[in-house]
Amino acid sequence: MIDRHTIDAVLDGDQAAWDAMVKRLSPLVWSAVRSYGLSPADAADAAQGAWLRLVEHLPGIRDPERIGSWLFTTARREASLLCRRNRDERLVPDPVEPDGPPGPEQAHADPALAVLTADEGRRLWLTVESMNEPCRSLLRLMAQAPDAGVRQLAGRLGMPAGSYGPTRGRCLDRLRAMLAPEAAP
Amino acid sequence: MPHPPDDEALIAALRLASGLDPVPERVSAAARAAFALRLPGAAVARPVAVPAPSGVRSAGRDRLLRFGADGLVLDLEIEPSAGLVDLAGQITPHPGAGALVEVRTPRLTESRDLSPAGRFAVTGLPPGWFSVVCHRPDGPPVATVWTRIGP
Repeated sequence: MIDRHTIDAVLDGDQAAWDAMVKRLSPLVWSAVRSYGLSPADAADAAQGAWLRLVEHLPGIRDPERIGSWLFTTARREASLLCRRNRDERLVPDPVEPDGPPGPEQAHADPALAVLTADEGRRLWLTVESMNEPCRSLLRLMAQAPDAGVRQLAGRLGMPAGSYGPTRGRCLDRLRAMLAPEAAP
Repeated sequence: MPHPPDDEALIAALRLASGLDPVPERVSAAARAAFALRLPGAAVARPVAVPAPSGVRSAGRDRLLRFGADGLVLDLEIEPSAGLVDLAGQITPHPGAGALVEVRTPRLTESRDLSPAGRFAVTGLPPGWFSVVCHRPDGPPVATVWTRIGP
């Protein structure tokens, strides 16, 4: 995903190499923070936090292969902290959790990382297209309208707003089962 | 065996693969600019628990932050002020004459000399990410981990 040459240049302080890494990995970071339903402003804040933490951790980076999964995990953690904080409107510092590199099991568990590397994205959507309704339309709509609220999405699917969350949960469960290695032909 | 992906990871993959939620340019620009904030050789100060001061209500305690690294303790107090943030701090032990403190945010950096007691203050910071860096006459700089103060 990020090669040794690029990371060595980054560690030498090469801004162009950093910019190339940002270009490669920022869609991953963005999709990670947006999956928490954050507003564009909050998502931007969480994404910035993930990049600042990478800058902070650069000297400790040994394995360029792990940068993607590390960033993805870090971005998700910042987004989830921001979500929690939005529910609890106080102006207080976020707790900082200990920063470790993600474990090896996480490096392969995130389908978003797989999507970055091969034509996994196409496989993912072919799987969605093979699903029954309402899952096919629900997942398609959810991905196509990242800023639509639950009420709007439910309305377009012709279901009550209260059904959207549970239905989405069931559809994601089904998709997960279809994507599991043992389900593959 | 890997864990199955949770809902957020799956949603992220679907969005990423659909390509319909492109990264806003200002988000990419902020990520590129973050590189200028690296501090090679700095000791990273991590949060440490602040002992509960007697007589202080617990409601006020979450505005007190303590970070430590390389023999230095940085105590910070965060005070919201009309949508902005005031920050007061103390560094112990005093790192010596000529020590300089920087309060860094992604947009601006404020520098302060330390008082003889090791204190410093910065007012009117924008909410968001910040890090406090102590440049010492002897030894590498000490920088707190990036910490977010939300509006």
